Amino acid sequence: MTAHRVTVEGLSLRVGAFALREVAFTVAANEILVILGASGAGKTLLLETIAGFNRPDRGRISIDGEDVTAAPPEARRIGFMFQDYALFPHLTVAQNVAFGRRFAPPGTDAEPVGALLERLGVEHLAARKPGRLSGGEKQRVALARALAAAPRLFLFDEPLAALDARTRDSLRRELREFLRRAAVPAVYVTHDQAEALALADTIAVMREGSFAQVGSPSAIFNTPVDAAVASFVGVETVIEGRIVQVSDGVACIAVDGVLLHAAGATPPMDTRVLACIRPEDVALARQPQRDSSVRNQFAARVVATEAAGPLFKIVLDCGFPLVAYVSKQSYLELGLANGGEVVASVKATAVHLIAR
Amino acid sequence: MSASASAAVRGRYHPRGLALAFALASALLLAFIVLPLAQLYASQSEASLAHVAAMAEVRSAILLSLAAALATTACAGLLGVPLAYLLARTKFPGKPVVEAIVDLPLAVPHTVVGIALLFVFGRTGIVGAPLEAWTGLKFWGTAAGVIIAMLYVSVPYAVNAARIGLESVDERLEKVGRTLGAGRWAVFLRVTLPLGARGILTGLALTFARSISEFGAVIVLTYYPMTAPVKIYDLFLQSGLGDSSAMAALFLAITLSLFIASRYLFRERREPGSASAR
Repeated sequence: MTAHRVTVEGLSLRVGAFALREVAFTVAANEILVILGASGAGKTLLLETIAGFNRPDRGRISIDGEDVTAAPPEARRIGFMFQDYALFPHLTVAQNVAFGRRFAPPGTDAEPVGALLERLGVEHLAARKPGRLSGGEKQRVALARALAAAPRLFLFDEPLAALDARTRDSLRRELREFLRRAAVPAVYVTHDQAEALALADTIAVMREGSFAQVGSPSAIFNTPVDAAVASFVGVETVIEGRIVQVSDGVACIAVDGVLLHAAGATPPMDTRVLACIRPEDVALARQPQRDSSVRNQFAARVVATEAAGPLFKIVLDCGFPLVAYVSKQSYLELGLANGGEVVASVKATAVHLIAR
Repeated sequence: MSASASAAVRGRYHPRGLALAFALASALLLAFIVLPLAQLYASQSEASLAHVAAMAEVRSAILLSLAAALATTACAGLLGVPLAYLLARTKFPGKPVVEAIVDLPLAVPHTVVGIALLFVFGRTGIVGAPLEAWTGLKFWGTAAGVIIAMLYVSVPYAVNAARIGLESVDERLEKVGRTLGAGRWAVFLRVTLPLGARGILTGLALTFARSISEFGAVIVLTYYPMTAPVKIYDLFLQSGLGDSSAMAALFLAITLSLFIASRYLFRERREPGSASAR
């Protein structure tokens, strides 16, 4: 299989009062770009423009170096995943997949229908109509159908938004596994921060038709470019690290030379992870608590303080950036000021890991 | 709480009052529809039915009605579905005018339709005259005339029902079809048309029913060869209620059974698997 690559440059399109402005990105095979934005930010319009349903006013879309800006959707070889996956209700699972195969351009390297059904583990559903399939089965059938047409890019338009939280988590994991192995770049649109964290190699925060910030998940969450991005993504600390030890259900994560402990569901050794810590789970003190059961204690320097409603938001540097919320009382007692030294502690159970 | 309590005291509460009143009105209406037809059958003897069924003119009139209505339905489908698709899927200036034009035949008296059609398709009509000169095709006193008359009065049913059927097709399915490599034609034929089929077929069934029952427009354009409604009228004029009501009963039996069969075939089916889909 060829490794595909998609580049979008200076994409602009005005539709009524709304406009996409100067959208640009590159996604390579095995990469997932998550476009994160509130509804009305223009995410769906952008995806449908990339897919060829709208002709941009300006800009260029190229796939594997070939300019497809003027090509109709059927000539682009893009696998488009709608919410709930939009399987053809009048066709069986096998016929759904065969639909993609039938129109695949000759000479493409897509697998035959039977092999695709088997690869995605849905061969037992071949004769069923999509109506009563579960969310997971629909996802697998839709992926098989898209693969049958030998796609060079996957576009996902909030495919999991209609599902309950638990199903969503497991389908997200499955999708991520799938996209890791497919040699096809993916652009995934969502309004859900957790979804972005779980899937993204790169996150683009979209606002009013353009990208406000593009970067790694930790960069977006820890160093938002402006207040609007910050308030949209929330103030959770997101740190990239690698699991270096697992014992008794506690994982040890190396983060920029500092060790962080996390309890709960622990990925295996050497997994790259995102460690997420909510600001209300960070406790601050003057001195280290020697007799404490809290596993994570870091000497930290106060970088910034700001009033946030009834609380104070404290930005710390403890080898990695960390955000804490403290009450006004603690704020005064600890005498927190920029440059001040404190000890930040976080329970291992409060560190939430997302495997990458 | 006190407000609802006093309301209950003031007006006595009949939970079944509305349902009973509406059921009574409905029963009256249904009886009004069914009773005349039932009475038409009740007044026939086997002998009188057999008598008209044996008449060659009666048989050829019924056959002409069936054939012409079928041809009309085919024309309405071929010409009506594209218009229905445009109305269902596109916005264009003047769309309300187009919608009004589609419904126009419903508002024109059928004898008026016949006369108006004569101006276009008659021997000296603007289409009829050149067409007869070039191809010999005549619309006056021919089966072609019957079809033209039937088409004019029945086409709104085909277009409107097909439009509703096509509007019900999720546009995302069409978009998915395109991204899977199918062009517009392929998506229309493989996605839109099969998914909108029930609406289209319902429309065509109505078109057929409307066509086969048409009298006014047909008789102005084409008295001979006679369609079944025209022949029934002809028998009525010649020999009163006897033979005409017998033929009416015979013809009705055929059209009603077709009507019921189509209702059964195009009924809303709950596909196994789609019940809990949404």
